[in-house]
Amino acid sequence: MTDVATPPVVAAPAGDDVAARGSLLRAEARRFTSRRFIRVLLLLAAAGYVAAIAIASSTAFAKTTPEGLAAAQRSIEQLVAEQDRYREQCLAQPGRPADVSDDQFCGTPARGSDFRAEDFLDKRPFVLSEGLPAGAIAVGVAVAALSFLIGSTYIGAEWTSRSIVALLFWQPRRVRVIGAKLVVLTAAAVLLAVVAQAVWWATARVMAGALGKAGPLPADFYGDLLGQQSRAVLLAVLAALLGFGISNLVHNTAAALGVGFVYFAVVETAIRNLRPAWQEWLLTDNAAALLTDGGYRLYVYGEGFVDERGTYVDSGRELLLSNLHGGLVLGFVTTLVVGVGVLLFARRDLH
Amino acid sequence: MDVIQVVGAHKSYRRRGKPPERALDGLDLVVGSGGVHGFLGPNGSGKTTTIRMLLGLVRADAGELRLLGRPVPEALPEVIAGVGALVETPLFFPNFSGRLNLRLLADTAGVSRLRVEECLELVGLQGRGDDRFKGYSLGMKQRLGIAAALLKSPRLLILDEPSNGLDPAGIREVRELVQRLGSDGRTTVFLSSHLLAEIQQVCDSVSIMARGRCVATGPVAEVLAGRGSGDVRVRVPQQQRAAQVLTEAGFVVTEQDGALHVHGVDDAGEITRTLVRKRLYLTELTPLAADLESVFLDLTREAS
Repeated sequence: MTDVATPPVVAAPAGDDVAARGSLLRAEARRFTSRRFIRVLLLLAAAGYVAAIAIASSTAFAKTTPEGLAAAQRSIEQLVAEQDRYREQCLAQPGRPADVSDDQFCGTPARGSDFRAEDFLDKRPFVLSEGLPAGAIAVGVAVAALSFLIGSTYIGAEWTSRSIVALLFWQPRRVRVIGAKLVVLTAAAVLLAVVAQAVWWATARVMAGALGKAGPLPADFYGDLLGQQSRAVLLAVLAALLGFGISNLVHNTAAALGVGFVYFAVVETAIRNLRPAWQEWLLTDNAAALLTDGGYRLYVYGEGFVDERGTYVDSGRELLLSNLHGGLVLGFVTTLVVGVGVLLFARRDLH
Repeated sequence: MDVIQVVGAHKSYRRRGKPPERALDGLDLVVGSGGVHGFLGPNGSGKTTTIRMLLGLVRADAGELRLLGRPVPEALPEVIAGVGALVETPLFFPNFSGRLNLRLLADTAGVSRLRVEECLELVGLQGRGDDRFKGYSLGMKQRLGIAAALLKSPRLLILDEPSNGLDPAGIREVRELVQRLGSDGRTTVFLSSHLLAEIQQVCDSVSIMARGRCVATGPVAEVLAGRGSGDVRVRVPQQQRAAQVLTEAGFVVTEQDGALHVHGVDDAGEITRTLVRKRLYLTELTPLAADLESVFLDLTREAS
């Protein structure tokens, strides 16, 4: 410290009123956008998106040509002929019960109209009415995963460096400090998800124009799509807050990601196998319920039995998890995790 | 006005599977406005717990605490703008530059960018402000922590071991800085340190902690005087004869460095009277003052 200069010690405005002019939210937003790891994550996500679109565009989609359509039609005719051959072999089998009809025993005869030519093309056209909603779900899931990571590292790094404690020397209202971080994270997750959905929408329009068809669209297509994309934005926010909440509880990003991995890879797998009836409360099923238009159909396997005719009967049931169900379950879990973390932060001694 | 008041503060930390650890045991502490007040104590005596309680990081089990005349932690938001603090190690984002770390704090409290530059210059980091914090040496990190504490131009500056990690020149600079701040007529510096020499050189007053209590407090000179060693150095031409006379009079006498050291003296005048009665005339009679180290060790030993 040999090069220390000695300017006047006191040159700033009086200390007592400086806090009033500050903006915790503005400082927090700046802190968030200055984080290099978050920037790297966003750049990697953007690069991944571009790569995925390039690969999908070059390998999976193409405009339909008359030659391609004719080849697909020939494939369908071939398939129908094969199906008819199998049916005739089936009907020729001995031992068929007298009270069972041909159609019940061997199925109905195949018809060319049962198949779509698009399904038999090497490269299918990108159909906007199907591809845009499906892609919106995929983008929604990817953005939710990214948001979870961002939420987790945002507060996890603060705990690792303990800079959040230093911040309390400037703003001792702990709930206000954590609240500012939550507001900034929520705004960031909304912005990220909205931009991602908008980019996907624009990409899908371009893909439909270049590699498929943009119409016709079903009635209220854009209304349904907007609802789905809005729910994708909500999922991103909930994922970001959940990542934040877990990291805030364990005070470490890596530990929070570990908790996430154990939950998704171990706990959910165990529940699906050991307690299938609980599936309706699992986070991934409820995320699917929130995103999927009209809700998510879930088949819950029951304990099967063999009836008097020797047929195995499954006592399972089909459940429809509505968008509201998914949102409420995810919202409750997120509120609980974040709430406990905030409460502990507000009351605990900090060292 | 007193800038720090602590009355009857108690704090125990719960430990899993062990009895609670008592950090503060009825601490009373008063720090007046102005100057530099030293806060001394061995490890585990409760210094950092006291500072953390004053800054609202740790909640007291019992007792009253006031900062700048207002009760804390309740009124901490009202007074925090007047308090700068560096507690133990500086806490900054490792990947942010020193300048960005300070600017983020400054934005929180509405402190100008100009003040950020002033504080960087004040601690000698103006040329390294754009380097990442994680690339700083321990001393540079410490100096950035001091700069952050100074950003608000605080009325009360709390520094916990500010010389940690600094080279000798850096330690001297920090001491000079602390002295300048303490003498500016506006800032009170509350300096926690285990370096007794630092406290003795820099501080106007001192509080000594032991086992969660304040065992001595006041101006440094008074604390030292109150714990005088009771030893007196005596020089006299006929040293052997004088030693014999004093011993016969009941004094405990040893010879050190060519002089007589008389121990446990309550009244140095009695030495003069005893020697003069035997026509032995003094050339030197010096009460040996206790240094802060011996006072500190005495007090903390007594308390434990």
